[in-house]
Amino acid sequence: MIDGGILSLIEDFGRFGLCDKGITNSGVMDEYAYIIANRLLQNSPNTNCIEITLGGLKLKAHSSCVISITGADCECKIDSKEVRSWKTYNLNKGETLEFGYAKSGMRTYLAVKGGFNVPDALRSASVTIKEKLGGLDGDKLKKGDILHFSNLQFLENNTALKENLIPKYKKSLDLRIVLGYQVDFFEKKDIDKFFSTNYTISSQNNRMGYRLEGEPIECMVDGIISEGICFGAVQIPKDGQPIVLLKDRQTIGGYPKIGSVLPIDCFKLSQLRAGDSITFKPIEIKRAEEKMELFNSSLLQI
Amino acid sequence: MVKFKIASVDSIIIYFADFISKENASIVQYNYILLKNLKNRGIIDITPSYTSILVHYDLNCFTSESIMDSLKQHLCLKIEKEEDEGRAVEVPIYYDLEVGFDLQRISDLSDISIEEIIDIHSSTLYSVYTIGFLPGFAYLGEVDAKIATPRLETPRTKIPKGSLGIADNQSAIYPMQSPGGWNIIGRTYLDMFDKNLEGFSYLNVGDRVKFKPISRDEFLTNGGVI
Repeated sequence: MIDGGILSLIEDFGRFGLCDKGITNSGVMDEYAYIIANRLLQNSPNTNCIEITLGGLKLKAHSSCVISITGADCECKIDSKEVRSWKTYNLNKGETLEFGYAKSGMRTYLAVKGGFNVPDALRSASVTIKEKLGGLDGDKLKKGDILHFSNLQFLENNTALKENLIPKYKKSLDLRIVLGYQVDFFEKKDIDKFFSTNYTISSQNNRMGYRLEGEPIECMVDGIISEGICFGAVQIPKDGQPIVLLKDRQTIGGYPKIGSVLPIDCFKLSQLRAGDSITFKPIEIKRAEEKMELFNSSLLQI
Repeated sequence: MVKFKIASVDSIIIYFADFISKENASIVQYNYILLKNLKNRGIIDITPSYTSILVHYDLNCFTSESIMDSLKQHLCLKIEKEEDEGRAVEVPIYYDLEVGFDLQRISDLSDISIEEIIDIHSSTLYSVYTIGFLPGFAYLGEVDAKIATPRLETPRTKIPKGSLGIADNQSAIYPMQSPGGWNIIGRTYLDMFDKNLEGFSYLNVGDRVKFKPISRDEFLTNGGVI
């Protein structure tokens, strides 16, 4: 590791079955880009990778390996040769891989054939810095870190994702939300306002959650008895500005929640950054279940 | 008054009550253990709290309708007295101004001497209502009303690992160094959270906890750090 960049973390699908111990799920923010990164390399689905936030990562291959790059549209060079994302590459011993900064999107995924040899910490290699769990030492990648891998074989034919399957990261997004939790504690006028407001993503956005700015929403109760928070839950704190809770969210919390954004839309949200805009659209539970199934079955056909 | 609510496309939340009490906590704890023991592969995460349980399930195994039908058959809403006895756990604490930064503040606010605060705090039997905020951070209830104290107005940026605190009528130990606003009254040498520990968390939902005051010497010889 020559330079760890802004925030580069070892991640996989995450840590499950431990919320009752106060341990968050963690895991990759954009599962679509992650799944494709492993698929291109014919890795098993939960193979760990590096999640690069915004860019700046620079590393040198001490052995030959095969990599794939997906996610945010980041300038990337192997030695001084420019390469594109959503593709696999053979990296020769001694070559340097360098990421610039994302032009569109927020998170880039770098996977290696066979995965990195990082031990699981509580069933997963995913790093959550707050919990000091996962990765090499429960922290982000730093200059001088060495990541080992076992597969040294080159691919005979490098592969790329079909052009029409590469997502275009836009500056605005409609998020589909299943209403639930404390939705009955909101008056109709506030729910209407919630769905008609154009929200801006604030500078407080990270792996825990995205804080939004826009028309404040009022809830009839200030707080609730602390309860479990699921992926994508939309909290409305006292100031009325919604927060979408993501992978490193706290396991329980005491703010009212209006419902939860579909996981597949949270993956897209994870590619947005401060200043980008979003709106919410309600979706019925049955339709939401169908959309999730469609996402999974379409992945199988890639 | 059990209520099922949708939480997301792949999770539901079960509300057992709408206020915090020992009885309600027992019902949650009983059902949490019951659901956990089902060892159903379609259930991904179970998050118990004071009055509710969040269940995250696998959409390949359940829909929101089928999970509700399935769980309704298993839940138990009336529990027998014998069944609410949790595991008994003793936690050694070095109560002293040296590590209990807010003992004086609690004493000033309550007009109770520090010795008496320690005596009251360590003679109460607590139960673990829920775990959250940090891995292994167990919310214990209930602190005697005489020494219950609101959180600090300005949270500390660094609370040392093992610190025991009070916030209103709850008590908890910080399993790792962290920012926090609880009133700190002592410290334990035990690891409250350790990935090598069986179950990872020293305390679990439903446990009955008693604190045992120890001397500075005992704290240090057992690996306590000041």
